[in-house]
Amino acid sequence: MSSAGRSNAGGWLRGSAIRKGTSSNNASRSLTPQVHSTSSTVFGGGVKDPSGRTSEFFSMDDQCPVCKSDRYLNPKLRLLVSSCYHKMCESCIDRLFTLGPAPCPICNKILRKLAFIPQTFEDLSVEKEVSVRRRIAKEFNKRREDFPILRVYNDYLEMVEDITFNLINDIDIPETEARIAAYRKENAALTELNTQRDQAYVQALKEQEEAEKRERQLRADELRRAEEEERDARENERRELIDSLERSDADAARLVRRSRADALKRAAARTAAASQAVQQSSAMLLRNRAAQSSTVPDVPHVPLQDDWYAYDDKYTMRETYVDPASEAVRRDREGIMRAGGYRVEEAWERALRSAVAGLEVTPLVGLEPS
Amino acid sequence: MDVVEKANAARQKRWTKDRKVGEGTYAVVYQGREAATGRKVAIKKIKVGQFKDGLDMSAVREVKYLKELAHQNVIALLDVFSSKTNLNLVLEFLDTDLEMIIKDRSLVFLPADIKSWMAMTFRGLEFCHRNFVLHRDLKPNNLLIASDGQLKLADFGLARDFADPGYKMTCQVITRWYRPPELLFGARYYSTAVDIWSVGCIFAELMLRTPYLPGESDMDQLKTTFRALGTPTEEDWPGHTKLPDYVPVGQFPKTPLRELFTAATADTLNLLGKCLIYEPRKRISAKEALSHPYFFALPYPSHPSKLPKTASQLAASRMAEEAETNVDMNGPGPAVKAAPPNRLKRKMSGDDIGRSVARKLDFSQPAAA
Repeated sequence: MSSAGRSNAGGWLRGSAIRKGTSSNNASRSLTPQVHSTSSTVFGGGVKDPSGRTSEFFSMDDQCPVCKSDRYLNPKLRLLVSSCYHKMCESCIDRLFTLGPAPCPICNKILRKLAFIPQTFEDLSVEKEVSVRRRIAKEFNKRREDFPILRVYNDYLEMVEDITFNLINDIDIPETEARIAAYRKENAALTELNTQRDQAYVQALKEQEEAEKRERQLRADELRRAEEEERDARENERRELIDSLERSDADAARLVRRSRADALKRAAARTAAASQAVQQSSAMLLRNRAAQSSTVPDVPHVPLQDDWYAYDDKYTMRETYVDPASEAVRRDREGIMRAGGYRVEEAWERALRSAVAGLEVTPLVGLEPS
Repeated sequence: MDVVEKANAARQKRWTKDRKVGEGTYAVVYQGREAATGRKVAIKKIKVGQFKDGLDMSAVREVKYLKELAHQNVIALLDVFSSKTNLNLVLEFLDTDLEMIIKDRSLVFLPADIKSWMAMTFRGLEFCHRNFVLHRDLKPNNLLIASDGQLKLADFGLARDFADPGYKMTCQVITRWYRPPELLFGARYYSTAVDIWSVGCIFAELMLRTPYLPGESDMDQLKTTFRALGTPTEEDWPGHTKLPDYVPVGQFPKTPLRELFTAATADTLNLLGKCLIYEPRKRISAKEALSHPYFFALPYPSHPSKLPKTASQLAASRMAEEAETNVDMNGPGPAVKAAPPNRLKRKMSGDDIGRSVARKLDFSQPAAA
């Protein structure tokens, strides 16, 4: 008992250690982002997981590059990412930007307090790429159907990729922005349409998921109710048994036996009722199938339904033939050909059969002998 | 226009394409009709363009063997013609395949149904083997079912003729779950027994309603096989340790088939056991199998017209009846065939696929909640 308890505690401790965070020398697997907050703060950004929560990157080695405070000094340290992709802790952000826009302490770009986003990826360049791609995907949402030929669609994808690459790597930013603006003006209607289409799709997906969830819930409720009923029934039986033992003066053993039998019968009825739906349907299917069976009579099995083997008597196979081509096979008594199931007799039979197959076949009418 | 082209054009005119019903790597399958009679056909358009050195091998094989084989349990190749650069095979149109029937949970199989399917499979296979053709890709998916219930062997893309001494054959054939151990061990000289093993696996699948030996890799396939049937000894299968790719995969004890197939009769298990013998030379042949007591015992095999049908098949046959009220009921009738949507491999259910895609990071969504 105590040893079990101890090992359990160890397991729990281990589990909690993993949950709390990681030390630097751990494998990279433990550095993967962990769900940390449900982030409904004013901060935007971050990447959502399927349940709609934002996963925030979190590691024991976090250190604010501005105030050098780390997780050891401040266990509640939370690093956020600026629009110029530099990290700093919440207290630094409060300190620097509460009084209005101020330059980034690292690159001097003017930043606002509201433009900080939670960090999802360990590598900030990934963070940047994700947000750039998200922005681009919102603007450039044309589909294959919007293009007459594949070639044009591919060109379009190429252009999108160029723009994305420029934005990610800070190449010709003003020119690229101009291109985006021009594109936006040209394709406003189509973009809007596609956005609506995407939203409708997402909505449909969500509704489907919701319906599934409801159904699961319903099934679970049903099951729970059935269990409760069963428990009540069992309780009732026991009470009845005790009552009857009290009241009647019949043989106690016999009373107990009878009540046991009753209980068993009722339990059987319950299980039958529970699986009735399934049983009923499969019984019905079987009945249908059987009814169908009586309409056309089944006939006894006839192995082959043609007279091919009537030709068998045209030749007799000999034990062996002089056949240099197959010598390798015949010599290989135990080897690979034998184990693979290859038989040289089949080759001989084929040759013989081909030789006699045409005998006694009447020539086709109207064909000139060549 | 020379004579050949003229003949080809004349052939092409005999058939019309109606709609696309499926697409594989090598071919697109269309539903069509014979212009003269209105009979439904399947037209398999082989994509020629992508093969640098001529025609795709499997198309050549399919034409080569189907042209020779005419049997009620082998799919009929009605015609071949070319259009532009494509090769078109005109095949019988068949409703469904055995895999769809096995997967359709609303269908109940009687032992007699399984017997009937097995008899038809063995008959078709016996016909191939007697003509010295190995099918080499038997699986439920390639056993098509006609509207009158007849089962037909299809997809001869991997078939080849056998019994020519001294020619090596490839061991990379037959879908993994239905591949016999001698091929897994890399045998380059084999025979009809490889097809019989596949039929044995299909037989078991018909009873279990789930694949019998679903290996995840070639190695795992051997393990799965041996786990089910016991590791073969030198006595069971002489010489198997000398096969090219032989590797010991561990010792598993032999368990009687009875343990898995609790409801099967002794005859059934006897035939199944004979299809799944390790030593290929001892494995039963298609001809012997057809004379096995299993087929003669009661119940008699179901009449093909009474075999379970999938819902789509029922709808199709009803439509056919309505469309042609004066059909000759004794004739072969409007043979129908629908290529299953994906003939290449099994898939998880469509829902799962759709969802897993939708749950990927979606950049087009607004950022924060």
